[in-house]
Amino acid sequence: MSSVNCHLFCLSVYYYRFHKEDCKDVARMIMELAVFEKMPDQAKISHEELERDGFCQNPFFECLVAEVSDEHRSKDGHTVVGYGLYYYTYSTWKGRSVYLEDLYVMPEFRGNGIGKGLMCKVAKVKKQCVRLQLAVLDWNSPARDFYAAKGAQDLTDSEGWHFIRFDGLSLDNLVKDAPKD
Amino acid sequence: MEFTIRAANVDDCKDIERMIMELAECEKAIDEVKITKRDLEQDGFSKNPFFHGIIVEVPERHKTKEGHTKVGYALYFFSYSSFKGRAVFMEDLYVMPEFRGKGIGKALMSKVAQLGLAAGCQQLNFTVLDWNKPSLDFYFSQGCTDITAEKGYHYMCCKGEALEHLAQP
Repeated sequence: MSSVNCHLFCLSVYYYRFHKEDCKDVARMIMELAVFEKMPDQAKISHEELERDGFCQNPFFECLVAEVSDEHRSKDGHTVVGYGLYYYTYSTWKGRSVYLEDLYVMPEFRGNGIGKGLMCKVAKVKKQCVRLQLAVLDWNSPARDFYAAKGAQDLTDSEGWHFIRFDGLSLDNLVKDAPKD
Repeated sequence: MEFTIRAANVDDCKDIERMIMELAECEKAIDEVKITKRDLEQDGFSKNPFFHGIIVEVPERHKTKEGHTKVGYALYFFSYSSFKGRAVFMEDLYVMPEFRGKGIGKALMSKVAQLGLAAGCQQLNFTVLDWNKPSLDFYFSQGCTDITAEKGYHYMCCKGEALEHLAQP
């Protein structure tokens, strides 16, 4: 075995709910994910915003991180090597649900079950949620295969659901027409 | 037609439940609805609600033949984009058929957008079925983007046995 394989064979991973001081690592990995999704110019979030929105009175999201021991740190010196960012949603048909916004593992740590570990932890934190939902890009075959293997159904393919968005100018225009209180 | 839009309160849950069933019927999925009035009361009006709602009311003289003055609703919650930050997701938008074509749907959606913006949100997101042409036409006329068609995002769901299995240690 090469020294790299031996290094990863003994990998133990620690999963935990993120703390404020993890936001810098989460922001770093969000940018790495944006590059992978071919949208590097889309990621505008700062670690300060993550701190504000993840730790306010009614947090907008929760986050689990995956950490390895210092001896297994990345080539750039990072020990926080993956994250799962999620929030609670509501289906008026089924009730409480959880939405997995991001699931990411640094490339050099893939193939060790960390993605699965993060996803399982999110599925467990479910607070009586009946569904776990997420979005995946149609060209991202490894991700699609990964989720399909976990039993996820593609509701765009099977039922025709499309995501629709208002942002920027279209959102401002919509707000202009809001009825006065 | 005269109408008002206001925040939903716990006493509106009976009408919200009624309209949820009507919407499910429109979407040909009446058997899918498992939610009850009690679920709505607990989940929407407790300390950390899972959703927020707004209700459309018309004056008594415009009530439906069954006597309803609550004729539309929107149900939304706050979500998060790791790229852009705070966002709002509109789960349901519904106007009773006899009250359509009067700008009520547009007013509801604008109100959700306004509430979202006031909370610091950068996006208003929702889903729509690809065969629902009247809704698609309405949303596109308001300037939205279909990010499934444009960027290739597919909507995935894990539930039932698959979810139980996933949550195993």
